This record gives sequence, structure tokens and C-alpha cells, in this order.
Amino acid sequence: MNGVIAVYQKELALYFRSPIAYFVVSVFLIGTGYFFTHNVLLTNVATMDSTFQNMGIMLTIVCPVISMRLYAGEHSSRTMELLLTLPLKNWQTVLGKFLGAATILLLMTAGTFIDLIPMYLFAEPETTTILSGYLGFVLLGLAYLAIGQFFSVLTKNQIIAALLTVSVLLAFWFIGHLQTFQSSYFWWRLFEYLSFANHFSNFIKGLVRSESVLFYGLVCASFLTMNAGYLGWRR
Amino acid sequence: MISLQSVSKRYGSKVVVRDVSFEVAEGEVVGFLGPNGAGKTTTLRMISGYITPTFGRIEVAGYDVVQDNISVAKRIGYLPELPPLYDTLSVVGYLRFVAKAKGVTRSEMNLELDRVATACRLGSVFRHEVFKLSKGYRQRLGLAQALIGKPDVLLLDEPTSGLDPGQIQETREVIRSFGKEHTVLLSTHILSEVTRICQRVAIINEGRLLTIDTPAGLQRAAQEANCIVLKVSGQTDNLRTELMAIEGVRQVQVEGPDEHQIFSVECDVEEREGLDAAIARRVSSEWSLHHFERQQPTLENVFLRYVRDTPGESNS
Repeated sequence: MNGVIAVYQKELALYFRSPIAYFVVSVFLIGTGYFFTHNVLLTNVATMDSTFQNMGIMLTIVCPVISMRLYAGEHSSRTMELLLTLPLKNWQTVLGKFLGAATILLLMTAGTFIDLIPMYLFAEPETTTILSGYLGFVLLGLAYLAIGQFFSVLTKNQIIAALLTVSVLLAFWFIGHLQTFQSSYFWWRLFEYLSFANHFSNFIKGLVRSESVLFYGLVCASFLTMNAGYLGWRR
Repeated sequence: MISLQSVSKRYGSKVVVRDVSFEVAEGEVVGFLGPNGAGKTTTLRMISGYITPTFGRIEVAGYDVVQDNISVAKRIGYLPELPPLYDTLSVVGYLRFVAKAKGVTRSEMNLELDRVATACRLGSVFRHEVFKLSKGYRQRLGLAQALIGKPDVLLLDEPTSGLDPGQIQETREVIRSFGKEHTVLLSTHILSEVTRICQRVAIINEGRLLTIDTPAGLQRAAQEANCIVLKVSGQTDNLRTELMAIEGVRQVQVEGPDEHQIFSVECDVEEREGLDAAIARRVSSEWSLHHFERQQPTLENVFLRYVRDTPGESNS
């Protein structure tokens, strides 16, 4: 576990010593604040539904920016050789990096709690629905980061890593729309299951379904495993 | 301590290292000498476990680099050609990361960081950020990370490249002191470096290991291949034939003439008493002899001879 902690601490230090983390978190919080003001304060509806929906879409841009440097940055700073010759197992490197990026996601999420203050001061929102929405948001973000980390290991260029990730995330966000064109039940169910948006909308409604939790867990596990597998294969 | 058995590395159809075998004993400092693109870096990368050989087997301290790469990594300190540094971290933060990854415990941490910082003379920049360091300090920091955890084996890829003469001198001193406690394999294309630091020299070119011997042994080998250089003027049509007729002369190469109509003649000769005088007598009798020199077998000459004589091969 020491190896995971070493990589995790290094990743956090790198995030906080570069302007990217501050920029991304700031942009996300300003965006969330804008949507909260628009969806809650201007409409006088004390729910986070629409704001969570907007936050989910913003993640498709924010997460790739957080994850793009995880491995591509190691190539550009020529530290990949060090990372892969230290006595660290591939899964330790992968997990340490993932936890570092996940911490930025959690800090970003915590930053949005400030929006809840006026809601609790002036209305009586449903706490369980809000908690469920936040759980869905964090799970969605973790899945996005796992995908972004995988694409970061495939290329030496951070911009290409980010663009590939955004493309895949948008595809999985909107894949549910293909349901409309399906007459076959199998395909209909498959597109529904693969849609990040569908699972997320359950959490927003206050439904914590094991199927959705499992889906995000599977996405994380699959992409992190592929990441570790790729590191072993590329030697 | 390090053993390579018939190691080759192929990228697609390009063979970068072919059939290299050698061993480095415990506590030995071995120089890996070759021109740019000879395969030195690829070989070091394979030993470090960064890439795997296409064919052959590499062992470090008895562990197979491919099968047991974690056990090997624990015993290796590796400095790649460009020091692998995180620019935004501080020097101490960077060393702390490497130390943690190498399994240095919390109680030993400060002691270990002090040890490597002292060995590599990093004390004055210990709290600085890496991007603020000069090239010399970056190289020393790279060395310091390789030293963390007291590894049995140090792999140093061109550790003095790009440094100024003062920094080169300092870095060599540091490496020489490492050699007392570690097995060191260092690659370089600077000949004087290997004679000053290394106990043995491996010469590699076009991916092939040409020879491995002590610097003195290589010079002895060169002595066996004696070379006499002459400067002559006159009609040289039959000069080569006349010299080849002398017993003990193996090969004659005539070049020139230069702007003063002087020809340069290189004779590859056997070790034989009176041969120098016989050649000088024969040349003086028919041509004007301006210069006669028995070439000194320097390591530079040995290296050039080996590299020049490497047979060119296709990459497939």
C-alpha cells in the first residue's frame, strides 16, 4: 500500500503545484454557481435536479482535463522511465494516480456544497434526494476519470488524451438516445444500460439502484484494469 | 551481479540490440562505450526493466528482469540519459516520493534523504523547486534518486552528458565513490571517462557487443595490431607492392598526395624485431621518407578500430 500512497501524494502535489487544478476547479464552481442561480434561485424551486444534470454534463469536459496529464504528462516530463523502473506494481501506479485525480473531483464536489446554504436557509429541500444526487455525481466522475486515465496512458500528448476522452464520454452520455431507433428489445436495453445519463438520472431522482452503482463500479474497474494491463504490455 | 545472455531487442523489423552477452561482477564499475545510436541506452533500459528483451535473458542479482521485475527494481538505481525529474516538485519532495516508492520507512526517511543529498552535494538546493535547478544540479538530483535505498546496482546512462568541465569532474568523483559500494554500469561515448572511472570497458556498435576488457587489456590488444605510419614523396606506383614484399607487413594503405605531393602510408605489421628498420631502409632507398612513426595504442585508437571494423548489416 506504501507504493499507492507514494504515487497518490506525488499526484496531489503535482496537481496543486500546477495551475490546471485551480483553473479547472474554479471554472467548474463558477459554472455550477451559475446553473444553481438559474435553476434554483430564479425559479424558486428548491431542488437540485436540473443543477445536477448540468453538473453531469460539465464533468464530460472537466474530467478529461483533470485526467489528461496522468500518464501523458509523465511522457512529456520524461519521468515515465522512472515511474516504470521503481519497485511499484502496475496496479499500485494506476490506483495511486486514480486516487489523486479522484481527490480533485471530491474537492470540486465539496466546493458545490456552498450552493446548498441558501437552499436550506430559505426552503426545505429533500436531503435524501440531494445526497443521492451527489452520490451519483461522484460515481459518474470516478467512471469518467478511469476512462480519462486509460486514454492518457495510450498517448504521449495530453491534448490528444483529453480529446479522445471527451469524445468517448459524450458518446456514452448520449448513447441512450439511440434507444428511440431500436425495435429490438435487446438493443433497446443495451443502449439504456450503457448510457451514463440514464444511470445518473436515477440518482438525481433519489433512486440509488444497485444496478447503477454496479455499472459505474464496473466501468471504473474495467478501465483501471485495462490501464494496468497496458502498462505491462507496453514493456 | 548483472548477467545478459544472448539479449536482442527488435522494434518491428529494426534490430537495435543483437545477441549481446556479458556479465558484471559485484562491486565492479563497467563502462559501456559506443557511438550515438549504438544500442547503449536500449541495453540499459532492458536491464532496468523499462523495456523487455525480444530474445535472451537478463538477470540482476539472480532475479530475472522479466519474470521478477519488482525484485530487480528493488536492487537497481537507474539514471536515464535525461534525469527524470518532476519540475514542479521541490527537491526534497521529489526525493521523498522516490524514497517512499522504494520502500524507505518513515523512521529512516530523513536519514536517507540527508545521506543522498550529502553524497550528491545537494544541500544548498534541498528546498528549491526542481525547475529552478541548473543542469549540473539536475544531473546530481537524478543521481541522488538513483542512490536512494542503497541499491546493489547502479545503471547510469551518460551521466556527464551536457555538463561543463567542472560539473563533469564533480560528477565523476561522485560516481567513483559509488563504485566502492555498488556495482556500476555506465554508458558513455566519452573515452577518457571510462579510463578514469571504469575497471572494464564494453564496446558496443550497431547493437553488437564488440569486446569487453579492462582499459589496459584493450590497449594490449591494440599493441598486437602494430601500425606504422609513413609520409613519403616520389612515384608511389609500386610502393604498396614493395612494402607488402617485406616479411612481417600484413597490410598497406596508401592515401594522398596532399598539397605538398606527400603520400600518407599506413602499414599493419607483425611484432617482429628489425622490421621498423627494414621498412625505413626499403622506403628510403627509392622514395623520400619525410616521417616515420609507430602509432601508440591509445584507447581512442582501439575504440575507433573496433567501431570502424564493425561489419554493416541490414536491419532485418
